[in-house]
Amino acid sequence: MSRLALTHADAPMTAARVGIGGPVGSGKTALVEQLIPALQARGIDIAVITNDLVTAEDAERVRRSGLIDPERVSAVEAGACPHTVIREDPTLNIEAADELERRFPGVELILLESGGDNLASTFSRDLTDFWMFVIDVAGGDDIPRKRGPGVIRADLLVINKVDLAPHVGVDLARMQREATEVRGGRPVLLTNCRRGEGVDAIVDLLEREVLFRT
Amino acid sequence: MFDRGEALALLQLGDSAFPAGGFAFSWGIEGLAADGLLSDRDDLDRVIADHLAQRWASMDRILLRRAWRAADSDAIAAVDRLAEATTPSAEMREGSRRAGRALLGVWVKLAGRLSVSYRARVSADPRLGHLAVVQAITGRDAGLSLDAAELVSGWTLITGLASAAVRLGLIGHIDSQQSLARARALLADLLADAPDDDAMPSSFTPFIDIAVSRGPLRAVRMFTT
Ligand SMILES: Nc1nc2c(ncn2[C@@H]2O[C@H](COP(=O)(O)OP(=O)(O)O)[C@@H](O)[C@H]2O)c(=O)[nH]1
Ligand SMILES: [Mg+2]
Repeated sequence: MSRLALTHADAPMTAARVGIGGPVGSGKTALVEQLIPALQARGIDIAVITNDLVTAEDAERVRRSGLIDPERVSAVEAGACPHTVIREDPTLNIEAADELERRFPGVELILLESGGDNLASTFSRDLTDFWMFVIDVAGGDDIPRKRGPGVIRADLLVINKVDLAPHVGVDLARMQREATEVRGGRPVLLTNCRRGEGVDAIVDLLEREVLFRT
Repeated sequence: MFDRGEALALLQLGDSAFPAGGFAFSWGIEGLAADGLLSDRDDLDRVIADHLAQRWASMDRILLRRAWRAADSDAIAAVDRLAEATTPSAEMREGSRRAGRALLGVWVKLAGRLSVSYRARVSADPRLGHLAVVQAITGRDAGLSLDAAELVSGWTLITGLASAAVRLGLIGHIDSQQSLARARALLADLLADAPDDDAMPSSFTPFIDIAVSRGPLRAVRMFTT
């Protein structure tokens, strides 16, 4: 992950762009809501972009959360193409990120929540410097074994809703082991985004791998 | 007559896969469908014809041609402000700027000379960056002729409308090809007559303008416009 580049072609000093993908309902917005205060607590200047599928509900939820200046939250419509807007044609998201940087010159990190999709969704490297894929234990512990491109290629795999493991008969340790295996040992972190558990480990990783703070 | 090089450039730049965010704009299709004014291929053909004849040919095309002839960034910006001033609907203006800025952004990354210099202006002035104007700038950067740039402009509008209708479930993939063929003929007709150099941009598409303007009021919305 040291290949991360913090410079973009047309602007020398830009914020790090961090994508958050994963199936609908896996807890992406919940993770964003946890990451905002955790990043702010470490003095990191942030902004957020959401790619809602059919409404601006996620953007509104984050704007109204009271966690962040609502002006720092942008919504990008995906025209029913949640894959396209983060992969084949990420231009509208790139424009939204550039615009946030213009409006908030000190911004260091932009979180970009994908509209939610299947296991095949991946982020373009032209759009993000780092991206994570969020799955949840209630989706079944066979998800990592299905080797979806999202699970395999993300810089970080987050397995969320660990609190639900006992209720859905998931062996968490095995799920994490298999996920790490299919990912060739690249990072897999466990979270409970209802209660904020495991979020600090994600922020540690972002500080180290994306912001190059140690 | 047939220039292979230019034909191939047209296939690339007029392709709906050209990554300038076009897929996120329905230009009123979503709103008209939500209001019960568009439900089948006949309706779609009428809306596309309206878009082309009552808006694109008399508005976008005029702006594109003016921006094409503009001698420098100042003159281009004047056309851009004219686009802003002659578009009464705020949502239409916003959509046109978002689509234009996305296209410009791609050409900045492709190192288009005019695009790079105009982008600096657009970044500093929120009124600038309208789609038709940017289509002229990027068309020049791409080395197209004016004829070809107009064709890309009209054609990407048509494919955008038809593809939005497919994704909204209003028509199927075969219907869509029939609509495209029909619209293609209309576009060719419109392009056969060159407007006067001093023609002013104008449009009269009240239903489309209202549908786009009502966008922010709808709770369920997948498209930018
Ligand atoms: N039990 C539990 N529920 C969670 C957790 N994270 C998110 N949720 C719930 O899962 C649902 C979907 O979360 P959301 O963040 O909207 O998912 P998104 O579609 O991926 O953005 C919501 O009802 C959340 O409250 C978690 O760690 N544990
Ligand atoms: Mg969400």
